[in-house]
Amino acid sequence: MEQDGEAQGDEALARRAGEGDESAFETLVARFHGRVYRLARRLTGSDGDAQDVMQDTFLQVYRGLGSFRGESKLSTWLFRIATNAALMHRRRRERRPAESLEEYAPRFDDEGRHQLGEAELSLPARADELLDRRRLVEHALEGIDRLPDLYRTAFVLRDLEEMPTAEVAAVLGCEPAAVRQRVHRARLLLRGYLSHLVGVEP
Amino acid sequence: MTTMTCRDGAEFLMDYLDGVLPADVRADVDAHLVGCPKCVAFVRSYRETPRILRESTAFEIPDGLVTSLQRFLAERRGK
Repeated sequence: MEQDGEAQGDEALARRAGEGDESAFETLVARFHGRVYRLARRLTGSDGDAQDVMQDTFLQVYRGLGSFRGESKLSTWLFRIATNAALMHRRRRERRPAESLEEYAPRFDDEGRHQLGEAELSLPARADELLDRRRLVEHALEGIDRLPDLYRTAFVLRDLEEMPTAEVAAVLGCEPAAVRQRVHRARLLLRGYLSHLVGVEP
Repeated sequence: MTTMTCRDGAEFLMDYLDGVLPADVRADVDAHLVGCPKCVAFVRSYRETPRILRESTAFEIPDGLVTSLQRFLAERRGK
């Protein structure tokens, strides 16, 4: 299977790098830096922060390769380090506590029916047509930033980086059901936030 | 006859779309959707949300990224 072959290639590379083969480490950096940067950029929201996180990640990888046992895929191990580095980076940043998105959760009446009408409920699906591009970009970044860490990391890995649920679970060290629950919660809140942006309070 | 509400349906939505719901619960969601245009509209916007967020936050990888990273790592590795 092609994916297995590629994964074995990664782990053989990691083993050689762990034994001190500098060119193997450089190949590993060349192979993974783009994906690590993308993930870090999605998790931190800025280029400067993403570059710091990427550097920190590969430094940790370099120092940790000797103890990498190959019990998980190299990519899983690497993305776990990058995710944790991004979370640490966010916590170190001086910033106001993010305003919760909970007010954008869907609302139901006493009998469990949607409070809004059909037209209003479908409107967030057209947020990219209805909103000015620059405003949408700015608010999309803000919305993702305002998610709780647990939801944001799962949403970024699964819905923005489009990793399979099982791989996200391996990166985050939790069950696939927990990944789905976190991503679901993030989608509900972000959907409601898009609704708010197009002028319909969810 | 199903007793599923819109609130129940929204709760199960991700598992429903991922195809991991037990068959009987899935059938209840399907039955609710047939008779509930509001939930159909809600599902549509729920499904579009990740795409809109993904596309509106897309970015280019900066030029020279690997070169600057290799330089940073070489310095730390004492090369």
